[in-house]
Amino acid sequence: MMKQLFPKQHVMGFIFSMVLSVVALAVITFDMSYKMGMAILLVTAIAQALVQLLLFMHIGESEDKGTLYTNIIYAVFVGVVTILGTLFTMIWGYQIY
Amino acid sequence: MKIDESLPLEYSTEENRLKILGFWIFLGAEIALFSTLFTVYFTLQNGVGNGPSAEELFKITPVMIETVLLLTSSFTIGLGIHAMRLGMKKAMMTFFVITLALGLGFLGTEIYEFLEYIHEGATIQTSGFTSSLLTLLGTHGAHVTFGLFWGTAILIQVAKRGLTPETANKSFIFSLYWHFLDVVWIFIFSFVYLKGMM
Amino acid sequence: MESHEQQFLILNEPMILAAMISIVVGGLSLVIGVTYFKKWGYLWREWITTVDHKKIGVMYILVALVMLFRGGVDALLMRGQTAMPENGLLDAQHYNEIFTTHGVIMILFMAMPFIIGLMNVVTPLQIGARDVAFPRLNSVSFWLFAVGAGLFNISFIIGGSPDAGWSAYFPLASLEFSPTVGNNYYAISLQIAGLGTLATGINFLVTILKMRAPGMTLMKMPMFTWSILITNVIIVFAFPVLTVALALMTMDRQFGTKFFTMQDGGMDMLWANLFWVWGHPEVYIVILPAFGIYSEIISTFARKNLFGYKSMVVSMVAISLLSFLVWAHHFYTMGQGVMVNSFFSITTMLIAVPTGVKIFNWLLTLHKGKITFTTPMLYSLAFIPIFTIGGVTGVMLAMASADYQYHNTMFLVAHFHYVLIPGTVFAVIAGFHFWFPKVFGFRLNEKLGKLAFWFITISFNVAFFPLFILGLNGMTRRMYTYSESTGYGPLNMLSFLGAVGLGIGFIILVYNLYWSIRYSPRDETGDPWDARSLEWATHGPVPFYNFARIPKINELDAFWYAKRNNKSLYDDRPIEKIHMPNNSGMPFLMSGAFFGAGFCLVFSWWIPTIIFTILIFVFMALRSFEKDHGYYVSVEEIERIERELGGEK
Repeated sequence: MMKQLFPKQHVMGFIFSMVLSVVALAVITFDMSYKMGMAILLVTAIAQALVQLLLFMHIGESEDKGTLYTNIIYAVFVGVVTILGTLFTMIWGYQIY
Repeated sequence: MKIDESLPLEYSTEENRLKILGFWIFLGAEIALFSTLFTVYFTLQNGVGNGPSAEELFKITPVMIETVLLLTSSFTIGLGIHAMRLGMKKAMMTFFVITLALGLGFLGTEIYEFLEYIHEGATIQTSGFTSSLLTLLGTHGAHVTFGLFWGTAILIQVAKRGLTPETANKSFIFSLYWHFLDVVWIFIFSFVYLKGMM
Repeated sequence: MESHEQQFLILNEPMILAAMISIVVGGLSLVIGVTYFKKWGYLWREWITTVDHKKIGVMYILVALVMLFRGGVDALLMRGQTAMPENGLLDAQHYNEIFTTHGVIMILFMAMPFIIGLMNVVTPLQIGARDVAFPRLNSVSFWLFAVGAGLFNISFIIGGSPDAGWSAYFPLASLEFSPTVGNNYYAISLQIAGLGTLATGINFLVTILKMRAPGMTLMKMPMFTWSILITNVIIVFAFPVLTVALALMTMDRQFGTKFFTMQDGGMDMLWANLFWVWGHPEVYIVILPAFGIYSEIISTFARKNLFGYKSMVVSMVAISLLSFLVWAHHFYTMGQGVMVNSFFSITTMLIAVPTGVKIFNWLLTLHKGKITFTTPMLYSLAFIPIFTIGGVTGVMLAMASADYQYHNTMFLVAHFHYVLIPGTVFAVIAGFHFWFPKVFGFRLNEKLGKLAFWFITISFNVAFFPLFILGLNGMTRRMYTYSESTGYGPLNMLSFLGAVGLGIGFIILVYNLYWSIRYSPRDETGDPWDARSLEWATHGPVPFYNFARIPKINELDAFWYAKRNNKSLYDDRPIEKIHMPNNSGMPFLMSGAFFGAGFCLVFSWWIPTIIFTILIFVFMALRSFEKDHGYYVSVEEIERIERELGGEK
C-alpha cells in the first residue's frame, strides 16, 4: 500500500529537490565570488526546474511531447531574451562609449 | 463522448487532450509573464532610493520555511495524481488536502514576511526596488491564492462526482499549475533571495 | 487646458459634444429599432451567446469596421488640422488626444480584430475542423475584446481620452504629467482586450495543432493557416509582456509605485523598453496573417501552386524568433551605447531578409500564371510594390546612426503607414472580399470593389508619399501646427487631399456592402472563385457544423486536385452524428463584469471595482461547477440541412 502510494521516482525527485535547495544555500553560507555564486544558483535552479518538469509534470508522457518541449523551449527563449536583452539595453550597454 | 480506455482518465477523451495541451501553452505564456517581472526586478534592484536594500531586508528563515512548504506541496500533489491514476479516490483527495494545507502555510508565511517588510519601511511605494520585488512576489502569491480556491473547487467536484474523465482532467491540469508555481518559486528563491543575500 | 482636467463628462468641446449627441441618438435608434422589430431574442440566441467560430468572426469584423471608421475620422481630423499652417481646427490638447486614439484604435481595435475575425472565420474551415478547440473560450475572447474596445472609446466623452501617444511613454504618461483619467483608460482597456487576445492565441494554437483533418500534416497546411499558427505563437509569448507593462503602468498611476518614476530608484525608459519588447512582435502579429492572405489570393488567381512553400514556412518561423530580437530599434536615440545600437541594427537588417524572400515567392508565383484581375487580386498586386517601399525605408531606419536624422520625423510616420496600410489594411480588405461569399453566400460587386480599390490605392500614395519628403525636410511627428515660414504647407495640403480620397474609397467600400446585400446574385456552388483550399469544399453559407463529413487529405491544396481529377475528398463514408458545443450567455455577462470593474478602476472607485472583480470570480466558479457536455446533431438533421443547401458535399 505505502509502496504503491509513494512511487520511487517521486520520492527520489523530492529528495533531490531538497538537496538542491540546500546546495544553493551554500552561496550565502560560504564566502565566494559573485561569478561562482551565480554559477551555483544557475545550475541548481535549472536542475530543480527539470526535476519538476520531467518527473512531476510528466512532460514527456503524451503524444504531444514534441509540441510541449517546443513550447517550453520557445517560452524560455523569449524569457531569456527579455531578461538579458533588457539588462543589455538598459544597464550593461547604457552610455558606454 | 468517445472514451479511450487505454489512456489514463485525464487523457481519455479528445476534449481532455485538447485542454491539457492548451494549459501547457498557457504555462508557456506564464513563463513569459514571470520572465517580464524578473526583468523588471533585475533592472530596478539597485534602485533603492531612500528605502532599504535587498541585503538589509531579506531574512533567510521565512524564505527557507516557504521553500520547504512549497517543495513539499509539489511532491504531495504529484503523489495525488499518482494515486488518481491508480483509481484511489480517497488517497488522492487526502494528498490534495495536504497540498492545499501546505499552500496555505506558504501563503501565511509570505503574508507575515510582507508585514515585516512594511514594518522595516519597505512598502510597494518606497522605491523601484521594493515596487518590483513586491510585485514579483505578490504576483506569485496571488497565483498561489487563486490556486487554493481553484483546488478547493476541484476537491468538491471530485468528492461529489467521483473520478470521471472530467474531474480527473481538472485535477491533472491543476497539478500542472501547482508544479509550475513551484518552478517559479525556485527562481525567486535563487535569484531574488539568495542572490540578494550573497 | 485646465477644462480637460478632472471633468467627468466632456461638454465644452463642440466637436466632442456633437460626437456624443450622435452616439446617443445612434444608440437610442438602434435600441428602438431592435425592440420595434422584436429582434432581442434573435440577437441573444444567435449572436450574443453564440460559440460558433464563424459568427464570432463576423462580429469581430463588424467591430473592426466600426473602429476603422472611428480611427479614420481621427486621421481626417489630424490631416485637416495640419493641412494649413497655423490652422485652428483642433487645439493642442485635442490634437494630442486624437493622434493617441488613432494609433491605439487602428492597431489594437481595428487591425488585430480584423485579422482575428478572418482567422476565426477561415482557419477551422481550412483545416477541416468543426469548430475551434475551445468554443466557449473563443466567445470569452471576443467579448473581452469588445468591452475593451468599448471602454477605450467612451473615454473621449467620459473623463477624457489618453493623450500621451499610442506608445504612452513615461514620464509623459505618469500621473504627474498626464493627470486626467485618459491613461488609466489606456492601461485598463488594453489590459482587458489583451486578455482576450491571449486566450485567442492559445485557442488557435491548440486548434491548428490538434484538430486538422486526417492526413493534413503540418507541411500540407494552407499558407494562411501556417501564418495564423506562427502569429498565435507570437501572441502567446508577446502579450504577457504587455500585460505586465500595463499592470505596472496602472500601479504607478493609481497605487503610487515607483517603476517608471524619475526618482526613488524608478526608471522611466523601462516602460519604453517593455512596451517595445511586446510592440515589435506585435508588428509581426498584424503583418504575418496578411502574408498568409496574400499567398492564398495570389495562388488562387494566378492559377498556380504557391512558389517556394517551404521557404515561406521557414521564413515565417525565422521571423517569429527574430521578431523578439529587434525591439530597441524603436529608441536608438535614447542614449544607450554603441554596442546596443549596433546589435539591434544588425538584427533589424536581418529580419528584412526573410521578408524579402516572400516578395520573391509571390513574384515567382505570378510568373507565367493565368492571372484574373479580381478585386482581392488587385489589392494583392498593389501590395507588392507599395510594401517594398515601406520595407526599404525600414532598412534605412534600421541604421542606428542614420536614424538620429529620421527619428520621430514624418519620415517614420510615412514608413510605418507604407508598411501597415498595404501590408495589413489592404490584406484584410482583400481577405474580406475573398471570403465574403463563403460566409454570406454571395460576392461583393466587382465594379464597385475595383472603384474603391483605385480610390484607396491612389489616395494612399497621395496621402503618405509627401510625408517622406516632409520628414526629410525636418517636420517632426505629433506637432499640432507649424508656421508658414517652414514651407511645410503645400505638401501637407496634398497629403490632406489624399486622406480625403482614402475616406471616399472607404465610403465606396461600405456602399458596395449595402449594394451587394440588396442586389448581388446568390452563389450556388460554395466555390465562386474556383479556389484551392478546404474552406471552399463545403457549402456557402457554411452550415453551422462546417462539414457533414470530415474530408481526408493527402496533399497540399487537396480540394484543388480533387476538382481537377474528379475525385472525392470523402471516400463514400456514411454521415455520422455530430457533436457540437452549447451556446452560453456567460462569456457576455462575465465580460460585462470586466467592463464594470475596468470602468470603476479607471476612476479609482475602489468598492465597486472590488464588487465587480468578485463577480468575475463568481462567473469563473460557476463555469467550473457547470456540467456542459454539448449536444449531438442527428444524421437525419444533417441530411435535411445538406439537402436544403443544395445537395450533399
